[in-house]
Amino acid sequence: MADECILKVENIKKAFGKRQVLKGVSLSIRKGELKVLMGPSGAGKSTLLQCINFLVTPDEGEVWLEGSHINRARKHDLYAYRQQVGMIFQDFNLFDHLSALDNIEIGLARVKGLDKKAARERAMVELERVGLSDHAHHYPAQLSGGQKQRVSIARALAMDPKVMLLDEPTSALDPELIGEVLAVIRNLVANGMTMIMATHQIGFSRALADEIIFMEDGQVVEQGPPVKMFSDAVCERTRAFCAKISELYGEAF
Amino acid sequence: METLLFFQQEVIPAFLKGLRVSILLILPSAVIGLVIGILTGALRAYGNRGVRLVADVYVTLFRGIPLVVQLFMWYFGLPYLNIYLNPFAASVIGFSLCSGAYHSEYVRGAFLSIKRGQLSAALALGFTKLQMVTTILLPQGFRRALPGCGNELIYLVKYSSLAYMITCIELTGEAKILASMTFRYTEIFFAVGLVYLVLITIASWLLQLVEDRFTVPGFEHHKL
Amino acid sequence: MPEGVVAVITAFPYLVQGSLVTVAVVLGAMVSGLVLGVLLAVGQVYGQLWVRLLVRVYVWFFRGVPLLVLLFLFYFGLFSVLDINLSAFTVAIIVLGLISAAYQSQIFRGAILSLPDGQFKAARALGMSDLKAISFVILPQALRFSIPGWSNEYSIVLKDSAVVFALGVAEIMARTHFVATRTYQYLPLYLAAGFLYLVLTFVGVKALRMLEDKVRIPGYSRPGVG
Repeated sequence: MADECILKVENIKKAFGKRQVLKGVSLSIRKGELKVLMGPSGAGKSTLLQCINFLVTPDEGEVWLEGSHINRARKHDLYAYRQQVGMIFQDFNLFDHLSALDNIEIGLARVKGLDKKAARERAMVELERVGLSDHAHHYPAQLSGGQKQRVSIARALAMDPKVMLLDEPTSALDPELIGEVLAVIRNLVANGMTMIMATHQIGFSRALADEIIFMEDGQVVEQGPPVKMFSDAVCERTRAFCAKISELYGEAF
Repeated sequence: METLLFFQQEVIPAFLKGLRVSILLILPSAVIGLVIGILTGALRAYGNRGVRLVADVYVTLFRGIPLVVQLFMWYFGLPYLNIYLNPFAASVIGFSLCSGAYHSEYVRGAFLSIKRGQLSAALALGFTKLQMVTTILLPQGFRRALPGCGNELIYLVKYSSLAYMITCIELTGEAKILASMTFRYTEIFFAVGLVYLVLITIASWLLQLVEDRFTVPGFEHHKL
Repeated sequence: MPEGVVAVITAFPYLVQGSLVTVAVVLGAMVSGLVLGVLLAVGQVYGQLWVRLLVRVYVWFFRGVPLLVLLFLFYFGLFSVLDINLSAFTVAIIVLGLISAAYQSQIFRGAILSLPDGQFKAARALGMSDLKAISFVILPQALRFSIPGWSNEYSIVLKDSAVVFALGVAEIMARTHFVATRTYQYLPLYLAAGFLYLVLTFVGVKALRMLEDKVRIPGYSRPGVG
């Protein structure tokens, strides 16, 4: 049963005006896997992730979660689907008018319909799990970038998602704050969370990913296990990109 | 339908009569108000403490007290001091002083937002004070004050209707008189409303033209 | 001169009662303007094309037609024709409210648009419907940022309330004129009325500033920062 496919995405196409950002991308992911999307800016990684949870409506393409097809036309189904898919943004996107604890609580209370006490308790648990229980009553404006991202991870986890989508979670962070966020993500991997992550963090990906998917110009150019991709990549473009990234960012840990 | 058409024979002449008075009210008030505003704004931005205090008191009073109360003071109140103004004069004075206070806010803000450094640079280059004012200060001040002052002029078109309340019969006054005689309140006031809407829309459009004509990159911050 | 002072002192309680009427009119107008204004703003930002057009027409109309004309139109015209019998007081609140809604909608619209669009995205990513996202994430922030604009709107509505005197509502202006025509002490009495309006403006603006401080989000003064 660990072999069954949790999320399947087929032939996603998306154009913004005249620009074809995604030209037909498919991928699938099994329970507990970590797949990393890599590639230059403009490759369509962010758009792909946002198409998966329909924040951006794809022009073509279908999505299946645990075997059932997601009918995006039915609002109710769409909201239910999004509860099961967690998203982490590059800009954190914490709700600025709510404290850290309230940010986690709001999804539980307003979307899942838990009563206030249960929501608050669960929120506190999630906050502790990312190591920020001391900052429960601080507002986003009072938190550092790394802390904000950890709260946003707690907020997504509180919803008990089946899959997590991470859109360059550390790209907006100062270098010294990247480590704390990667530590949290590493914990998620260890606990078996299914994740698709777009990132430039080569060291992290090499160590933990089950598969690297290299994208360019709205298409998947090459994909494979990290060992193969980083040392023995078939495609010239992939090798060039990986070399450049290693040079720029170095090892994350 | 034909009563309505026949009706336009009565409504249109009355409206034209009233419109003429409205325009005669608006134009002088706009000009005088603007002049007062620019002078007061400049004084509040660059004057010494005493002058600033007087100007600030003027602005606080004339922006804080309702226009209606001000109009009543000029028309009904001045006779107390043995000054008798006709409704038209009282209206123009009232509108000018009131809108002048609002204009001065925009002008003052515009002048204060011009970095002093530019003025120093001009003087350092050898400009006389007069040259600095006319070639550096005023062109920028004008552009920054334009949206606010322009809007104030548009408000003036609307507020001119209050002249009716001190018996100066302009467009709204004519409409009220006609409506009281014929009891066709809804049609007449709807029509008057549309006339004002047209006037306002034309004025806004003209303002936009002026703004576009004088626009310089970096000054478009007011556009949203 | 002394008769002027006497007249003002004698009439003062009567005028102050008028202030209560004025305040009632202003509050009624601002609250109804708030409710309608929020609906219009949300419609203009998030609604479909026809909704957006409708709101723009509404705003154009109620910001373009003079207050006095609208008061006459509604009081003597529309409500008469529709055989609805409302007091001048009620009509004043309705008309001032409709106009204020037009202006307030633009204040709220500006505030909503100034929020980073990541806020709405994050709300939807959690599975919130648009209605929930707007109610629990967008509006709480937008309304806080609208308070300065709202404060400005208050002083405008306060001054416009003097115009409803034309319909016979017994607010400050009406009472002042009433006493003045009987005592001939026009100037002193109008000065007293002006003073009352200044006091009401000051108190109201102060109260709103206190409200702004009370609901302030710690560390967050402007959207897009921090």
